[in-house]
Amino acid sequence: MNTGQTCRRVCSGLAWMAGLEGGDTGHGWTGSGGNSLLLPSGSSQAASFGKCFLDRFPPDSFVRMCQDLRVLNAVRDYHIGIPLTYSQYKQLTIQVLLDRLVLRRLYPLAIQICEYLRLPEVQGVSRILAHWACYKVQQKDVSDEDVARAINQKLGDTPGVSYSDIAARAYGCGRTELAIKLLEYEPRSGEQVPLLLKMKRSKLALSKAIESGDTDLVFTVLLHLKNELNRGDFFMTLRNQPMALSLYRQFCKYQELETLKDLYNQDDNHQELGSFHIRASYAAEERIEGRVAALQTAADAFYKAKNEFAAKATEDQMRLLRLQRRLEDELGGRFLDLSLHDTVTTLILGGHNKRAEQLARDFRIPDKRLWWLKLTALADLEDWEELEKFSKSKKSPIGYLPFVEICMKQHNKYEAKKYTSRVGPEQKVKALLLVGDVAQAADVAIEHRNEAELSLVLSHCTGATDGATADKIQRARAQAQKKMEGLEEEPLETLPTEQW
Amino acid sequence: MAFPHRPDAPELPDFSMLKRLARDQLIYLLEQQHEVDKLYKVESKPAVSSSEQLCFLVRPRIKNMRYIANLVNADKLAGRTRKYKVIFSPQKFYACEMVLEEEGIYGDVSCDEWAFSLLPLDVDLLSMELPEFFRDYFLEGDQRWINTVAQALHLLSTLYGPFPNCYGIGRCAKMSYELWRKLEDEEDGETKGRRPEIGHIFLLDRDMDFVTALCSQVVYEGLVDDTFRIKCGSVDFGPEVTSSDKSLKVLLNAEDKVFNEIRNEHFSNVFGFLSQKARNLQAQYDRRRGMDIKQMKNFVSQELKGLKQEHRLLSLHIGACESIMKKKTKQDFQELIKTEHALLEGFNIRESTSYIEEHIDRQVSPIESLRLMCLLSITENGLIPKDYRSLKTQYLQSYGPEHLLTFSNLRRAGLLTEQAPGDTLTAVESKVSKLVTDKAAGKITDAFSSLAKRSNFRAISKKLNLIPRVDGEYDLKVPRDMAYVFSGAYVPLSCRIIEQVLERRSWQGLDEVVRLLNCSELAFTDMTREDKASSESLRLILVVFLGGCTFSEISALRFLGREKGYRFIFLTTAVTNSARLMEAMSEVKA
Repeated sequence: MNTGQTCRRVCSGLAWMAGLEGGDTGHGWTGSGGNSLLLPSGSSQAASFGKCFLDRFPPDSFVRMCQDLRVLNAVRDYHIGIPLTYSQYKQLTIQVLLDRLVLRRLYPLAIQICEYLRLPEVQGVSRILAHWACYKVQQKDVSDEDVARAINQKLGDTPGVSYSDIAARAYGCGRTELAIKLLEYEPRSGEQVPLLLKMKRSKLALSKAIESGDTDLVFTVLLHLKNELNRGDFFMTLRNQPMALSLYRQFCKYQELETLKDLYNQDDNHQELGSFHIRASYAAEERIEGRVAALQTAADAFYKAKNEFAAKATEDQMRLLRLQRRLEDELGGRFLDLSLHDTVTTLILGGHNKRAEQLARDFRIPDKRLWWLKLTALADLEDWEELEKFSKSKKSPIGYLPFVEICMKQHNKYEAKKYTSRVGPEQKVKALLLVGDVAQAADVAIEHRNEAELSLVLSHCTGATDGATADKIQRARAQAQKKMEGLEEEPLETLPTEQW
Repeated sequence: MAFPHRPDAPELPDFSMLKRLARDQLIYLLEQQHEVDKLYKVESKPAVSSSEQLCFLVRPRIKNMRYIANLVNADKLAGRTRKYKVIFSPQKFYACEMVLEEEGIYGDVSCDEWAFSLLPLDVDLLSMELPEFFRDYFLEGDQRWINTVAQALHLLSTLYGPFPNCYGIGRCAKMSYELWRKLEDEEDGETKGRRPEIGHIFLLDRDMDFVTALCSQVVYEGLVDDTFRIKCGSVDFGPEVTSSDKSLKVLLNAEDKVFNEIRNEHFSNVFGFLSQKARNLQAQYDRRRGMDIKQMKNFVSQELKGLKQEHRLLSLHIGACESIMKKKTKQDFQELIKTEHALLEGFNIRESTSYIEEHIDRQVSPIESLRLMCLLSITENGLIPKDYRSLKTQYLQSYGPEHLLTFSNLRRAGLLTEQAPGDTLTAVESKVSKLVTDKAAGKITDAFSSLAKRSNFRAISKKLNLIPRVDGEYDLKVPRDMAYVFSGAYVPLSCRIIEQVLERRSWQGLDEVVRLLNCSELAFTDMTREDKASSESLRLILVVFLGGCTFSEISALRFLGREKGYRFIFLTTAVTNSARLMEAMSEVKA
């Protein structure tokens, strides 16, 4: 390079720089060179050279101008044929220029420009790829398979590309199958659903919606399906989708009870059908006949479900309801909807012992329950005489400690003491302590030689009054200890850890 | 008492941010956007308000929609026009809009959403306050809340950085996790660069461990919850506690200094602690004797307020203790606990069964009876057919026939089931029992059931060593392991699983347990960006209970944390206990 050339270059470079600031050079045509983005034009080379002679010159505007010029050069190429001036280009903005390129299907160039200008993917490359794909799907001569594959190959997982939009376009061109294929690539299953619904692929939409985990979406599809399919088909579809089914059931439970029944009927789900009728018997029906009828239907359903237990229980309930109704008519008061236990209790409290007995027999109330029930009821009435009679009617299946307990609960020590003697040996100490007879409790415990009982009594010994008893226990303990050492036997019984 | 944390235990993340966030959002929503000036509770009775605009802040439930519809329609009938606004929290459901539409008021109301899902109840406890989650998911199979859980996790990870290690077990845990991951992928960029603050997250379904939730609680906080019901972190102490004629609403959290020291303690220690505390307090009061004026001035201005506050709290908790004692001794609480322990350990099944039967016969409490039946069923892999029938019959006779529906619910949820018939043993057994007396039959049944297939719970319990061997008495003052929350009789299964997985940093070696939990495909580990996590954050663990957790579990894990130098943070769909679980399954007459 000779000096003259250098001089010229510097001069033109400086002029170019001046142009940058004065807004001149860039506005005109910049020579004929540069049919590729990659080749710098002569004057920018000069500018680059000239820049070296300027201090404190910010490089940004230089870089930007170079980029713009390259873009302009590229689109001016005769293959493209968009001769723009710089100011036209600035007016137009890069986005619009890209749109124009896209409209002319110059996708590769558009993408090159985006990459060169480092536009964010969402505005740049992805957008163009999406446009490309939308164009691609209109090529009717290419098979669905090939188009879908080609699109996926190019697009991959590019962020910001919505496969569902492309699929929508494909559907718009009447290529439903292609649309479905494309939707397969959509990572957000939620996005697939609206289009699938539009394409009347509701069942597929349903499984996609379920996949998305968005119950609202599932519900949208369900209501769509409900209107689209006949009832039978709708139910069949639900049957294969447990998640959707339970969702729809939840809805029906509040809004469409009849549909719920049909659903169970369809599935031959007699168990749930039975439960449904039971619920119905409590919910709406006021009249007893209606309720019993509902229960009868329920019992039938339970039999069909081979749930003998529920069926029998339901039948019992029907019997009880009728009986309660009769009791209300004959005796007055409220019986309806009491449990069996409470019904009998109410009878005893009302003094209808005979009826109570009858009821207990009819419904085969177990002895133990009956005893607890009578015991509690009679104590509530404070009918001590009857209670005593009852206690002697036969051997108590629940022992006699409960008698002591219940009398003490009513603060009747006198009555309580009557029963202590009949309490079995295992619970005797406890009973004696309950009525406050520490001394006798100690005697029994010593007799039993039971360490646990001894300490229980000891813990009840208070202050001076029980001093003698406490000593007695200690002595007995010591004696037992000695005996044990002599016999070298296992200790009687270790202290249970009474803790909770 | 109130063991300190190890010095190297990590700091808890700051949840006050969540609180502020929620408060600001709510204020903005109510005051600025909707100009609300008066608040009413949504109840069954109609709201009395003459205002021109009504704004409902509700959970997206069909029941609530009905309530609103009735109100709007009543206004319409009365010829009144108002503006109605419905704000759904945490999100709007399409089904709700459907209901509004069907009731013909969709055009009259406008809808909005408030995506609020995390309520910090305490420094280490976040609650989603979704008690309905349990029934909706575990009984009805409704997955609507999973999205909410995923959103909540997403919010946590944007606030506190990504979680390098994730573990989980259960179907719901897996679904929530996958949905959450999807959310993160869709919206990535935000959390990627952040340093993780919380090193581990553990998701656990409630149905992995029903047993723990069904046990009576004996740790103070749990016991208060069982007895008085803690709602949203506060409790209503009735007149019997406050020893006045008024009820008092008390916030129970780490800020209550007295409560903070006893909350995790076994109840048997609490009284002793409180009386010691009372003596100390008295001593501090007494110091003022012999003070000169200046000292006195100091005392009054600086210490007296604190002492008074402490005094007030102390007397409240003493009152609560007394009230608990009174209630618990009345119902033979010890017997009950003994039965529970027997069930957990699996001995004297026959005796426990008759205890439960007596419990039912005496109509002690419908919920309690149900709880014991479920406990028996789960620990024994279902009841033997004979007991299944007889206990249910007894129950229906005692508490009303509508519970037939309750039983059907419990069976569906796997809480109360019948042992699979097919067992040849039971056939033999029923033949034998016809020949001999009742008592002997019981013994034979016992013998057979010990021969029969051991229940999953028993096998798990053995594998994980849930029933600690006790040599001598378990010292509840100085707990040795997490079993202390159940008087040393049982280590909570859920907590043990968490402990084991954290120790191994995976599910490796726990295959058998996972299989027994019927979760072969539902246990997962995901270790990602470990390298970025500081050692401190790796000792911070977020445990997510889907379907609720109990205070006992929280106490047990707090204990584990203190032992190992971890800190646990809890996220639960709601704080629960045995009674709440049972009530969620019960059907009551409408």
